[in-house]
Amino acid sequence: MKTAKLISACLLAVLLGVYTQVSAETLTIVIEDIREASGALQVQVLAGQAQFEGEGAVAQFIEPAAEGSVTLTAENLPPGEYAIRIMHDVNGNDELDANFVGAPTEPYAFSNNAKGMFGPAKWEDARFTLEGDVTQVISLIH
Amino acid sequence: MQRREFSKLLALLACPWPTGALAQAGGSDWSERFALALEEFPWLAAWGNIDRDHYRSDAEISGRWPEELNGTLYRTGPAGHEVFGYRNHHWFDGDGMVHAWRIGGGGVRHEARLVETAKVKAERAAGRALYPGLAAAPPGAAGLTGPDDLNLANTSILHHHGRLLALWEAGSPYEIDQDDLSTVGPYAFAEPGGASNMRGVPFSAHPRVDVDGSVWNFGYASTAGLLVFWHIGADGSLRNAGRVAVDPMTMPHDFVVTERHLVLLLPPFHYRPRANAEGFLNMHVWTPEDPCRVLVVDKNDLSSHFFLELPAQWVFHFGNAWEDDAGVIRFDAARAPDPSIMTQTFTGIMRGDPDYARAASHFGYRLDTRARTIAEEAMLEPGIFTEFPSIDPRVGCRQYRKLVFLSQNDREPAEHGTLNAVNLFDMESGQRDSFRYPDTQIPEEHLYVPRPGSEPEADGWILGTAFDWERGRQILNLFEAERVADGPVAAAELPYAIPLGLHGKFVES
Repeated sequence: MKTAKLISACLLAVLLGVYTQVSAETLTIVIEDIREASGALQVQVLAGQAQFEGEGAVAQFIEPAAEGSVTLTAENLPPGEYAIRIMHDVNGNDELDANFVGAPTEPYAFSNNAKGMFGPAKWEDARFTLEGDVTQVISLIH
Repeated sequence: MQRREFSKLLALLACPWPTGALAQAGGSDWSERFALALEEFPWLAAWGNIDRDHYRSDAEISGRWPEELNGTLYRTGPAGHEVFGYRNHHWFDGDGMVHAWRIGGGGVRHEARLVETAKVKAERAAGRALYPGLAAAPPGAAGLTGPDDLNLANTSILHHHGRLLALWEAGSPYEIDQDDLSTVGPYAFAEPGGASNMRGVPFSAHPRVDVDGSVWNFGYASTAGLLVFWHIGADGSLRNAGRVAVDPMTMPHDFVVTERHLVLLLPPFHYRPRANAEGFLNMHVWTPEDPCRVLVVDKNDLSSHFFLELPAQWVFHFGNAWEDDAGVIRFDAARAPDPSIMTQTFTGIMRGDPDYARAASHFGYRLDTRARTIAEEAMLEPGIFTEFPSIDPRVGCRQYRKLVFLSQNDREPAEHGTLNAVNLFDMESGQRDSFRYPDTQIPEEHLYVPRPGSEPEADGWILGTAFDWERGRQILNLFEAERVADGPVAAAELPYAIPLGLHGKFVES
């Protein structure tokens, strides 16, 4: 029984490995126009419109900000439709600071460098297809 | 990472944030239509386009410029009406150009420069018109992150604590270098020490200077449904800010300040955003069955306020206001029956299709802050249309009796059909001293300039520009305030004419 269990586990590992090799994609995110090396970049990779417009994320990063650009890699993502949103939490208070009428005063961005119309970008503008290795180069909006 | 760490990020990046909303419209042949109309109505040149970004010339002097008049008339206005062949669909959508008329030593020098806004720079880089305006959007319009993407710095001037600011209605003031009129950039008023969460918060185009040298202003954030109030100290720092929720929002352009209160008229031109509306104006609905709300805010407690109601009306500009010891406020305004001048006239004129329906006439208002009542009364005989009211700046926010304004007598209109006379009106005697410009000239805003050392409203000049469409020249005229009908006592003429501007300030040297 013990042997059988071990074989099963090995088989599962092999199967998973094969699956990973065939179906897991790598997403490279290059964040540009970082103007201050203070605070952190908070990045969410969102799978599908529901997640984009709702809560949760398939991958999240908190990365120390460096002046210029920062590159992140999200691995083992299943192929599909994704979007990314980024904020630069310059003062490290874990919030996207807003001005007196609620508009962001810290840098942020969306995949495809999508912009909204007086608001966040729409899913249709920020979505991209992850199939094979994909790189998104995104400049922060200041 | 914990989900809650992203909660604020999600909240802000998943919901519309409060500014306004604009959508795209198709392209246009408005340039061609305007060019054709110009042959029939040559005075439309006043809404033509600039042919360069920087103008500079000594002016040709006539008459005698007084030795004691030394200073600069700073003005701004929509001037860049075409962007890479795309003609704007509204007068107020033109890229701002700041003027300096430098008066001294008996001479006048003029300089004007296009404000290098973020919009101008982005459109230059793209080689095309990118951004939506009030009435339409160019094909393939870019996304917007906030109102400052669209900031045109084209409406008025504030000169405060040594800083020259070109103002727009819905975004940040733009700081301008006073010497060469180059653009410094968007300016954010901050508290002493530099702290501010006011970056990008709308700062409207008609701030009022109080007797202590401090400045009051408001701003409106449409999708947030918020009116913002600013109080800037004489030292240039942010002294206080307040917010009042207004539902539905509208487009207030100007306001008045008294000894104790701030007063806004909120015309029933209600903000009703909808998808695919062509421009910000079209996200507003005129509902004349609704009242014009009057918002009265306590200067000492910006959260304390009350509303009164007037019949539906549209007001761009007020002259002034004051409040007596019994809490009764008097103010004046150029009052139009509806916003058609904004929604029709100022778009039609860009298309070469002039239509001057429903202009404003001057009204006086009596607002009793204790009895909570308000009444209005026409100040002039019927058929006299008015705009661009101004006062002796020394009586701002305090009791006043004299008003400067432009007018048009509907029974004797000029060929160009718009404002054609400058007036000094004594509100106590009812006497109106008026000078009618030649039909070949369209006057722009005229301001009261005090004679140095004189008593308020007693002695001064009236200073204002005019666009000579026949000769393609802009002229600065000086009137003795008490003898307006005599015509200009001095003039300064340029070898060029820049499209009609809006407002300015005279800054004494």
